[in-house]
Amino acid sequence: MVNYHFGRGRARLAPYLLLLPGFLFYLVISLGPSIATAAYSFTDATGIKGAPVHFVGLENYREFLFMGQASRDNYDALLRTLIFCFFVTTIQFTLGLVMALIVNQKLKGVNFFRTIYFMPVILGAVIQGLIWSLFLYPMGGPMAQLIGLFGLESEFLGGQPAQAFAWVMFVQIWANMGITMMIFIAGLQTIPTELYEAARIDGASSWSVFRNVTWPLLTPVTNTNLLLNLIGSLQAWQLFLVLLGYRNGTQVLGYLIFAQGFGQTSGSVTSSFRQGYAAAASIVLFLLVLVIGLTAQTLLKRREERIIG
Amino acid sequence: MSTAAATRPATKKASATRRIDWTKVASYLVLIVFAIIYLGPLLMLLNTALKTLPEFMKNATALPTTLRFENFADAWTKANFPRYLTNTMIYTASATIIYLITAVFVAFPIARGYVRGAGAILTLYVIALFLPVALIPQFQLMLGLGLYNSPVGYVMLFLINPIGVVILVNYVKTLPRELDEAAALDGCGYLRFVTTIVIPLIRPAIATVAVLHAIGIWNELILPTIYLTNKDFYPITRGMIVFQGVYGSNWPTLAAAVLIMTLPMVIIFLVLQRQIVSGLTSGAVKG
Repeated sequence: MVNYHFGRGRARLAPYLLLLPGFLFYLVISLGPSIATAAYSFTDATGIKGAPVHFVGLENYREFLFMGQASRDNYDALLRTLIFCFFVTTIQFTLGLVMALIVNQKLKGVNFFRTIYFMPVILGAVIQGLIWSLFLYPMGGPMAQLIGLFGLESEFLGGQPAQAFAWVMFVQIWANMGITMMIFIAGLQTIPTELYEAARIDGASSWSVFRNVTWPLLTPVTNTNLLLNLIGSLQAWQLFLVLLGYRNGTQVLGYLIFAQGFGQTSGSVTSSFRQGYAAAASIVLFLLVLVIGLTAQTLLKRREERIIG
Repeated sequence: MSTAAATRPATKKASATRRIDWTKVASYLVLIVFAIIYLGPLLMLLNTALKTLPEFMKNATALPTTLRFENFADAWTKANFPRYLTNTMIYTASATIIYLITAVFVAFPIARGYVRGAGAILTLYVIALFLPVALIPQFQLMLGLGLYNSPVGYVMLFLINPIGVVILVNYVKTLPRELDEAAALDGCGYLRFVTTIVIPLIRPAIATVAVLHAIGIWNELILPTIYLTNKDFYPITRGMIVFQGVYGSNWPTLAAAVLIMTLPMVIIFLVLQRQIVSGLTSGAVKG
């Protein structure tokens, strides 16, 4: 226990009392419900107020994983979540790194470019989505016209599920690349310039400077970025809502949870709110995040120890 | 890289100057291509908002023949902007202020170890990123409390931001401990110390967290979709989605509406860029 200076006896309680409101809010509204998701996944809870809630054991999981067409759709959604995660993480990570390296040079106007690449991050899914659904409007929209110059045609977001899905990935990366870039820039700026100068004097090529100086010293931010991208993309689904709606062949787990738990478009409370089932799906997603997150962290730690020692 | 390899046989000086030039050219090329990808859609939005619908249908990318600002006036009233914007501002301001006050009183004693189990409490905030989404039990709780479809209940959902607490804790740790001791010797109480001395000193961190939190509330779409059914309570995000449903094919009006919604964010971003970036990247460097 640290020395407390502000009195004894009853005055000692002040920090506790003042901490309580914030901490209680957190426990009751966020942390508690988050953990209670596991308990709800064993029930048949609906969204109806006062409706009885029964314990159904593993029924929701059985249905989610092993029952007919619905479970096959769930596996598809699971697979799509992994595909989304893989492509978004790889591309966003690589682009973020490349752009950070470019923008971190002493070039005129780099601040301007940095600013515009980062801007979408703060616009939020609604604006991001609406901007692109206008830009990708298939019937004579700007992009359609542009590729029309090359004699191409596309239905973009309205096209085949796989195509629409790919465009959502594109918008997701467009929207969030800036934050990956900014974290890399923060990391690049911790690398002492003397190291670069020393390497230059030794006549090292740009590639070998990157390979032997920049890349190893970026390890901490590399780890942060990879973990944030992995977890973020596994949980992301808001752009699907804005760009596509709940369309067959494009759903990811996060959207599936929302649609099952709150009805596809939401609005009034109806019996179609399968909240117990949605809670089970949440736990499946959570386990996915946990397994991928922990595996990544272990591998990254091992790599960090190898490099930095 | 390839340029570096290609020029290596040349004399050292020549290769150095040429290599730098090519790197520069390539860099600017990439920067400009990406600038087009990033700004293009926004400029096209502006372009569309200034057109009539027939003009847009005829040629989406052409510049408007006459500047039509009617779309903005149209969108302003049709999308019910005054109402939704007011709602969003009330939600954002009240939740951010209440959150920050409570968060400072959570972060300060944790950072100083003035409460038992400070480390454990901090861990509870750090693990939030990994935990399952709280949506369903949270909904059951709000429903049970009669806070469904209620602005008060809606604001309550935003009195939480674990990352904000972590940022504040890290910042408080940079304040010298002697400060507490000296203030206490002068007879300053705990509450007065935190409000009159700590809060002004951690203002940069408070600003960062405030901006982050406010942006999150401003942009929130899922929670209003779940919790608010009364149109009078809609924030701007939900209002926009409803507006898109009705006016989805009238691109000029929709574009004007999106711009009206985007503008405040862009201004806030340009003014507070430093806080936003430091908030979003804080902790990343320390690993």
